[in-house]
Amino acid sequence: MTTVAHAPTRAHHEPMSFWRKYIFSTDHKIIGIQFLFVSLFFLLVGGLLAMQIRWQLGFPGKPLPGGGILPESMVSGGVILPEYYIQLVTMHGTFMVFFAIMPLLVGVYANFLIPLKLGGHDMAFPRINMWSFWLAFLAGLIMLSGFFVPDGAPRCGWTMYAPCSARPDLSGATYSQKLWSISIVVLGLSSVMGSVNYITTVINHRAPGMTWFRMPLSVWALFITAILAVLALPVLQGAAIMLLFDQTIGTHFFDPGAGGQALLWQHLFWFFGHPEVYILILPAMGMVSDIIANGSRKPIFGYHSMVFAIIGIAFLGWIVWGHHMFMSGMNPTLGSTFMVSTLLIAVPSAIKVFNWLGTMWRGNLRFHVPMLNAIGFVSMFTIGGLSGIFMAATPVDIPLHDTQFIVAHIHYVLFGGSLFALFAAITYWYPKMFGRMMSERIGKVHFWLTFVFYNLTFFPMHIIGMGGQMRRIYDPTIYDFLKPQQPLNEFISYSAFALFAVQFLFAFNFLWSLKFGKKAPQNPWEDNGLEWSLPNPAPHGNWAPKTPNVYRGPYEFSAPEGGDKDYLPQYTKLPTDRDPVPAPLPAGGH
Amino acid sequence: MTTPAPTTHVRPNYMLIWLYLFVMTIAEVLLAFELPVARNLKLILLLILAIWKAMLVALFFMHLKFERWRLRLIFLVPLPLAAILVTTVIMEKVF
Amino acid sequence: MQTSTVTDAMRPPFPAEPGAGVYSNKLGMWVFLASDVMFFTALIGSYIVLRFGMASQWAQPGAVLNVPLTGLNTFLLICSSVSMVKAYAAIADGKKYFLRKVPGKRLQDGGLKFWLLITIICGAGFVSVQLVEYIKLVGEGFTPSGYREGSLLAEHALADPVKYGAGVAGMYGSTFFTMTGFHGFHVTCGVISMLYLYFTKVLPEKYSPQDYRGIEVIGLYWHFVDLVWIILFTIVYLI
Repeated sequence: MTTVAHAPTRAHHEPMSFWRKYIFSTDHKIIGIQFLFVSLFFLLVGGLLAMQIRWQLGFPGKPLPGGGILPESMVSGGVILPEYYIQLVTMHGTFMVFFAIMPLLVGVYANFLIPLKLGGHDMAFPRINMWSFWLAFLAGLIMLSGFFVPDGAPRCGWTMYAPCSARPDLSGATYSQKLWSISIVVLGLSSVMGSVNYITTVINHRAPGMTWFRMPLSVWALFITAILAVLALPVLQGAAIMLLFDQTIGTHFFDPGAGGQALLWQHLFWFFGHPEVYILILPAMGMVSDIIANGSRKPIFGYHSMVFAIIGIAFLGWIVWGHHMFMSGMNPTLGSTFMVSTLLIAVPSAIKVFNWLGTMWRGNLRFHVPMLNAIGFVSMFTIGGLSGIFMAATPVDIPLHDTQFIVAHIHYVLFGGSLFALFAAITYWYPKMFGRMMSERIGKVHFWLTFVFYNLTFFPMHIIGMGGQMRRIYDPTIYDFLKPQQPLNEFISYSAFALFAVQFLFAFNFLWSLKFGKKAPQNPWEDNGLEWSLPNPAPHGNWAPKTPNVYRGPYEFSAPEGGDKDYLPQYTKLPTDRDPVPAPLPAGGH
Repeated sequence: MTTPAPTTHVRPNYMLIWLYLFVMTIAEVLLAFELPVARNLKLILLLILAIWKAMLVALFFMHLKFERWRLRLIFLVPLPLAAILVTTVIMEKVF
Repeated sequence: MQTSTVTDAMRPPFPAEPGAGVYSNKLGMWVFLASDVMFFTALIGSYIVLRFGMASQWAQPGAVLNVPLTGLNTFLLICSSVSMVKAYAAIADGKKYFLRKVPGKRLQDGGLKFWLLITIICGAGFVSVQLVEYIKLVGEGFTPSGYREGSLLAEHALADPVKYGAGVAGMYGSTFFTMTGFHGFHVTCGVISMLYLYFTKVLPEKYSPQDYRGIEVIGLYWHFVDLVWIILFTIVYLI
């Protein structure tokens, strides 16, 4: 195997100013890193909101520590007001879903990994990529401003059900509801632009030899996710525009009094919303597949079935949205249809879980930090998926709907799932992004503490949910039947505070290693992906002006042809390999 | 850069398609306002005319008739999704 | 590591696996159009669903809206679509000019500059007519929230509630202005894009039969916008 010899600068333009190079960059790697920093900031914002929610739920009526700095409209004598509590709940969901997890999984890793793993120089449309980031950033600012306008942030839950969201007299938030709609429309535009880029790049910009079934699962997952995004986000944009018009120019789409339908919002929102949750999990699954194969030193078990499972999940994801609406008074026949389709979608997810287990079975396991987090993902996602089966059955969902059971499910798949996968991915591709390694020791401590406190926080939510505690409720103790569960609420809150505190370990590790982390070798994880043929950090233009050749699939671990090494990269040419033949360049028109 | 592959299809007669579209538009307006046709039948005929016109534009002006199946697939994919959304919500409303 | 050398860095996917078989700009535009279909699905689908629930109460076609004027406008948009595809055919044949005398033919032969200009004019015309229509409708009392109190249409609706769909005028206004408004927005974006291309690429004759990707891509967008209007005209004005 030959090492790559490269000149340090291969970009064929003249030196760029700081602004063009780092701020208004069109380099997909810089854009990915921009998304990373901004999204981690929003993750922090979401976490701070969650801490306030947990304070109120665990210790209702007690003054919030540090609450003195908040204005009278939010806290009274330091105690969180109900009007502020519902804003916390709404904005926690909104920031976490739209501005933390989605950009972290898609904005960061689709941008960063796709060209690197496919052998490209950049995305298909680099300037559109830049616009995609800045629009997402603008959308985040608009959403954040909701806290600072009169009447405070939006308050109808992150799902923004009409008529609460359509009528300021019902919600109490005159300005920020409109800002929510505008922010969503802008974010949708950013998402669609990004997705067009990812889809085009994956279809047309693969290096010679990188056939469809030699693509790593992370890229497959990101590709399918982009297809979901490009088709689902516009529906949300349409709905948000209709909501905005109801709020501003006097239309009546969701106003039953004038002939509109409040339920229409729910249908439109969840028609988008269900593919959205698959957008939030598929990239995580893809990246975890890569990391587990690496950590097991074995090919992924059932590569083809993994691909078809991703496609199956994406396909079925369009016809299950009604399971969010079992309690809306909808047609029961439709309810049964949605129940069946929802139960069906568990099958491809289960196939994936079994395949991850099959990959690890009898593997030469390396428990590096990404692998630990990836295994954590598999176990936590399984629990989240199992609670999903409960809720898929309509009769079971009826008592569980809008209780903490649902909240437990959401957080098992989003935190236990996506966020653990993100910890794994951030650690794994950190050397590629920044040229240094994150501290292994801190990473392991962070993982175990997070894993313990995370389960202590969210598992009991299943119990209090089954006990009847509703979602978005301000003070559970006003109900006699919930009072006996209050000690559990306190316990959850304490665990949550500990969980939040532990994340500062990760933040420290991330920031400290930027400057003081161990300098990364070229292929620190001994992985097979194309990206590891480049130096760390990856240079501008990647392999430009050349394009790498691909000789095999992405999971050739412990292959006999590898000789004394237990990995065989996709770009390594063996004496028995022939160079792939590139396709003829496409024509410039008909 | 090598010369592009020569076109393998006969260029459609754009002016003829334009004539078809013009005539069909007139037909639609006449049908909607002048002709004594039952309401439901009128609805169906108007929809058929509209879809036919849309297909003429898609197939000939957007050259979909001469493109590979893969490209046609991209445009076709959203259509069943749209149908599922509208049908389900109507079924729901009827209940 | 064996690598292949790129001959033309401006034309990805510079040695690559066979992909869609069309160049990336075109593929990207088709994917974008698929997303735009979903956007209009949300708006038009909502209209269908809302109207379905109150079909018998809806205003009759032609009562409020000016069908003949819009019919003419539809024709204008269709003409712009034809001129767009003629522009595309022109540059494919290498006709970068405006007009040229062709021996044996009575009319002069139009090149890219001519046909694209026609498209822009027709497109701008469509938007103008629609704006005029909006102003007139609002003047008569047709607003996104229904018939304005004391307006001409409100009086008509009192006199003949069935013809004017008095009960559901709010929904009529909401759906009409949202759907046609966003369509008009798409047309405007198209006209602005074509103007930009006209001055930066078409007039300086930067397109050639070897590379006219921009014309094809904007053409696809333009035909899509026409296609959506064909559907909208029927289901909003004629039904």
